[in-house]
Amino acid sequence: MHIIRFLLSFFLTGATIWLLSTPQKAGDSTLPPLATFFNPFSGFWKNAEPVGGFAPENLNLPGLKGKVEVVYDELLIPHIFAGSKEDAVRVQGYITAQHRLWQMDIAARKASGRLSEVLGERTLNIDRITRRRGMVFAAENNVLGWGKSPEGMRLLEAYAAGVNAYIAQLSPADYPIEFKLLNYAPEPWTVLKTALIVEAMAETLCSGENDLASTIALTQFGRDTFNYLYPEWNPQQQPIIPDTGQWKDWKVALPPLPAVGTKAGAPTSGSLSGVFEKNGDFFAQPGDVDDDYIVGSNNWALAGPNTASGHPLLCNDPHLNLTLPSIWFQVQLHTPEQNCYGVSLQGVPGIAIGFNENIAWGLTNVGQDVSDWYRLQWTNPERTKYSLDGEIREVQKRVEVIHIKGKEPLLDTVRYTVWGPVVYDYDKEHPLRDCALRWITHDQPAPDAPNIFIFLNAGKNYEDYRRALAAYDCPAQNFVFATRTGDIAITVQGRFPVRAPEQGRFVQDGSRWSNAWIDYIPSDRVPAMKNPSRGFVFSANQHSTPPSYPYYYLSGDFDDFRGRHIYDRLTAMKNATADSMKTMQLDNFSQRAADALPAMLRLLDQNKLDADGRKMTAELAAWDFRYEADATAAPLFEVWFDSCYQKTWDEITTLRQQKKQVLMPERWRFIELLGKDTASIFFDHPATPQRETARDIVNETFALMQDYFRQNPQKRTGWGQFRGFTIKHIAQIDAFSRLDVIVGGNGSAPNAITRTHGPSWRMIVELGERVRGLGVYPGGQSGNPGSPYYDNMVNTWAKGEYNDLLFLASADETSNRILGRQTFMPRE
Amino acid sequence: MKNALYIILFILILGSLSHFGLPWWAVVPIAAAAGWFFPLAAGKIFSIAFVAGALLWTTNAFLLNAANEGILSAKVGVLFQGLKGWHLLGITAILGGILAGFGAMTGRLARDVFVGSKPKV
Repeated sequence: MHIIRFLLSFFLTGATIWLLSTPQKAGDSTLPPLATFFNPFSGFWKNAEPVGGFAPENLNLPGLKGKVEVVYDELLIPHIFAGSKEDAVRVQGYITAQHRLWQMDIAARKASGRLSEVLGERTLNIDRITRRRGMVFAAENNVLGWGKSPEGMRLLEAYAAGVNAYIAQLSPADYPIEFKLLNYAPEPWTVLKTALIVEAMAETLCSGENDLASTIALTQFGRDTFNYLYPEWNPQQQPIIPDTGQWKDWKVALPPLPAVGTKAGAPTSGSLSGVFEKNGDFFAQPGDVDDDYIVGSNNWALAGPNTASGHPLLCNDPHLNLTLPSIWFQVQLHTPEQNCYGVSLQGVPGIAIGFNENIAWGLTNVGQDVSDWYRLQWTNPERTKYSLDGEIREVQKRVEVIHIKGKEPLLDTVRYTVWGPVVYDYDKEHPLRDCALRWITHDQPAPDAPNIFIFLNAGKNYEDYRRALAAYDCPAQNFVFATRTGDIAITVQGRFPVRAPEQGRFVQDGSRWSNAWIDYIPSDRVPAMKNPSRGFVFSANQHSTPPSYPYYYLSGDFDDFRGRHIYDRLTAMKNATADSMKTMQLDNFSQRAADALPAMLRLLDQNKLDADGRKMTAELAAWDFRYEADATAAPLFEVWFDSCYQKTWDEITTLRQQKKQVLMPERWRFIELLGKDTASIFFDHPATPQRETARDIVNETFALMQDYFRQNPQKRTGWGQFRGFTIKHIAQIDAFSRLDVIVGGNGSAPNAITRTHGPSWRMIVELGERVRGLGVYPGGQSGNPGSPYYDNMVNTWAKGEYNDLLFLASADETSNRILGRQTFMPRE
Repeated sequence: MKNALYIILFILILGSLSHFGLPWWAVVPIAAAAGWFFPLAAGKIFSIAFVAGALLWTTNAFLLNAANEGILSAKVGVLFQGLKGWHLLGITAILGGILAGFGAMTGRLARDVFVGSKPKV
């Protein structure tokens, strides 16, 4: 009897332990193992950091050459003082891991197609596409290229060793809470993972292309209509580098015109009208505002004569997907060669955007298309051989092993051609099934690539800046620059193929090598400008140059609005101060609204409106085109403009409904037609017997807009409330996200805040005898949702305020803003 | 009564010490030892150990939560369908209690098997 009672109790206890240490399914979600997660000794309670109790310990770190001192300021920003660059980045790695380890882990996993390993089958498709696009292949090539610089490689390895020294001393109780929730453990950092983080940036910033959508548009509409709908140059554009005659004497030999592979999934016959009549009345629901414009970034520098201090001012606000933890981590790196402050990318040594005593620099994305599709001519049914200039080539197979939690791994064979990987051949329906991807990101970087930011961080003058940039390939960036001694400059830096006109605009014929990128624009011919007479340089992801630049380049995503307004403001700017720079970064004025609304109001038959409509019209007419959080006219315009755009391109949306991904015309072109070509055939609805004009569309969509707000009275609010805004946790965990922030801004305004994207780091640098930096990002230094430093800068950012950046001259400097000090010593 | 106090102290002290290096389920063998050394009736020892385990877990959680000013528990509560911080403390207490209770009861019953002593009351 005793034995039975004992055994029963024993097994009950064992079963309880098992049950409480195993993840449990609850509906759609999986609960973490309950006792593992709730116990106060190693579970989530251990991540509850004491408020006001930050006290860094002194540590011994293997591999250090000398003593490294770290001063933490009140925002948990580390100021690292080291005797050498290598020691500095080693400690940078340690400290970044200490605050952002899970973010580093998940970012490297995402970039390498290894999410399913910890998240299970639901992320398998993401992993598969990541692998098939050659992300790991690219990162491996990156490491091969970096290996050619022993100095650079030593720093990358020191950084990784710093990260690993932190990981090595962790017990499961210390793991970031996300590891506990998802029930897995951190693994060592490698140089390959740093390369993966860089590739992930490239994926975000330079993977854009419209090859297929343009090809389908061309075959559907024919050349004349295509040219009418999709002009490449916006005549109102203010390019980054104006034509000052600097390239008029260049002799440029462009390659022969490319052969266009028009068969890439697009039908080659069939009349348009038949298509439209069937489904001509389709349009997007009004109010379903597409706020996801490609947002980019702003940067500019003003020369001394235009500033109050007589010294240059430099500003930068890169717009990215806003997440918690933030993409940026602030840090100061002081060595005998440099004293540099700025933001770093977790997983990458050095400072990406920042300043030192002598110089400041900032980045925006160039956005030129460096990603082309080539249609292959297979010569066997197995699709392993293809023809190139009449010769038969064999694909190289790369087997991607994707581990899946709780399942057998997926072995995925990716075929590589001379162009690059055949990404979509596993999908019989995919229009790019027989195409290979040529993407600049796959190429080996220049040997000096790992040193670019290391050199820049220590730069003293314009020559240092140009020398550091020379090795910078990808993702191409507009590097704005200013010095204490008064120079300002901007360089459109990257590796750009020499293209024949329109080469890369459409899917190309992959059976001819003459379609390849053979040469690249020499580094002394990339667009650049130093000390222009107008006294400022700037960029906002717009066209790099006017059409007179001798090299052809393309992008469907150049910005058409922010840059023009920034240009206007900089042109008028005199006696600029940090405060006037703030008003520019926070400027919610939309050039798009200023271009479109007057034209729309002109076409509106106001005398036919009811009282409510007249009230709305009055509100719109009085609007100053600023997307302030409380602007009630902005939602009216946004819904009206969007309906107008959708209704005008009903022909195209109909085709897109039928899975023909025809390119949408750019918004600037639409606004141009509203003003200049009101009788365009595209304003006509094919399904109606009469012929509509822009006037009809404008009036029809105004009524739709009125209906929308009549049916959704709660939407008749300020813009901030109407648009909505979130800063989501990286794993989309709402509890760790900020969903309560109401802000103004719009993708077409300098303060380019959309629902999910926005200025990820606002920085203003006043150069001079003593450099002063102002900055803020919508997040916090700690990646731990249980830390008071997790999101402590979000409100500052939302209010449009800045932090005065604490730029210390030495580790001994005192300040009432210092939180704690820490010393790292070499381990014997 | 005195035994109850001893058991609670035994589990609290050893339980707190055990977590410098031992896994979270160390509370189970510790409670089992308590059950072995203080052989009360099985039902009674379960209840006493439950109280001790609940106290052990929830006190530690409470202290961490208080120092954190409830920042994390508020968020984790949202994650668990809108629970409040004190709900999480309650769950922690129940989990600690169940584990200690089962552990102590098993230890107590093991003694019956291997030593065969009669329960003291």
